Amino acid sequence: MTDQHEDPKFEQWLKDVARTAYHAPRPTPREEMWARIQDARRHKHVIELRPWMRWAVAAAAVLVLGIGIGRWTVRQQQPAGGVTPVASGTDASRDSSRDLAYEVAATQYLSRTEAFLTSFRADAHTPASSARFATQARDLLTTTQLMLDSPAGSDPHLRALLEDLELVLVQISELNGGAHDTDLITQGMNESNVLPKLRSAIPAGPGPVRTQGAL
Amino acid sequence: MDESQLIARVRAGDSAAQRALYDAHVDRVYRLAFRLAGDDALAQDFTQETFIRAFDRLGSFRGDAAFSTWLHTITTTVVLNGLRKVKRLRQRETDIDDAQAIGVMKRESEPDLKMRLTKAIDELPEGYRTVFVMHDVEGYTHEEIGAALGVETGTSKAQLSRARAKLRVVLADFAGEWT
Repeated sequence: MTDQHEDPKFEQWLKDVARTAYHAPRPTPREEMWARIQDARRHKHVIELRPWMRWAVAAAAVLVLGIGIGRWTVRQQQPAGGVTPVASGTDASRDSSRDLAYEVAATQYLSRTEAFLTSFRADAHTPASSARFATQARDLLTTTQLMLDSPAGSDPHLRALLEDLELVLVQISELNGGAHDTDLITQGMNESNVLPKLRSAIPAGPGPVRTQGAL
Repeated sequence: MDESQLIARVRAGDSAAQRALYDAHVDRVYRLAFRLAGDDALAQDFTQETFIRAFDRLGSFRGDAAFSTWLHTITTTVVLNGLRKVKRLRQRETDIDDAQAIGVMKRESEPDLKMRLTKAIDELPEGYRTVFVMHDVEGYTHEEIGAALGVETGTSKAQLSRARAKLRVVLADFAGEWT
């Protein structure tokens, strides 16, 4: 079908015009970029994954994959028009267990992040605790970014929350013990209402209960 | 000195070799980043990130393919992931701006060819746009594109063909210029 559209004259004209008119680059700023690359490599903090961290990253990946597959398949099964069909007993129980797995995983992640940020706001004013929080933030940041880049991040409510969390966690992960930095992060958290939003996304009550509406 | 020797010296920690490798490839990386990002600051960020990753991971480069192919895989990954993040942030800002601008919209005057072309290419689906920019604008071969994007050569050709077909429809007003 695409062969029907081939037109050498048009293709040559398009190439010529696009090369001169489409986002034409300026001369490469070699020296500026080289200086920044050198600087960034000198100050790069190398994070070595210890065995338990590798396990945590792998678990996060599995978690995100599970969430993505679960949500994708649920979406695929929804008919146009939003009319919910009467499910057979087998389908209903499969959907139910998939939903439950998703809710447990999401609730655990959100609860853990909420506990971490609450603790950070209260306790992060000493250099020793800053280092500890920075380490924990990097761990949570990995999970957050995996979730953002998975199909789970296509949910607009969850994505907005994850983006806010990513920003805060990046700042905390780069803490180097300055009280001023800690104050700025806390102030930013307060202004963007991250904790209230996070808490409202976590369902009340014990156990894996519904997260709908928040997620 | 050929490139494999240069890479061996970079691995051994030779900073002059590192700079030589950078000089050999930076133009192409920066040009592609600029074409895809349309913004100098972003293009510089993406180029820097590409080289930082490349130097950090040079130990994993086995030499099965050309170094440039390996580097352009990193470039496209960095640029496309970076643009997705920028798009998310910009979308949030746009939503706010749109809400404030309701009721004050004006009819735009007819844009010229450059503006129409830029808008048409920007609005192509990501895959079509990437292949179009790499092939028709920056002169990459389908083999290079396939390797960089992790797709079959045939997929690259098909996406280019679809991109051109879409652009031909959108730019039909200018048909007199190529017929």
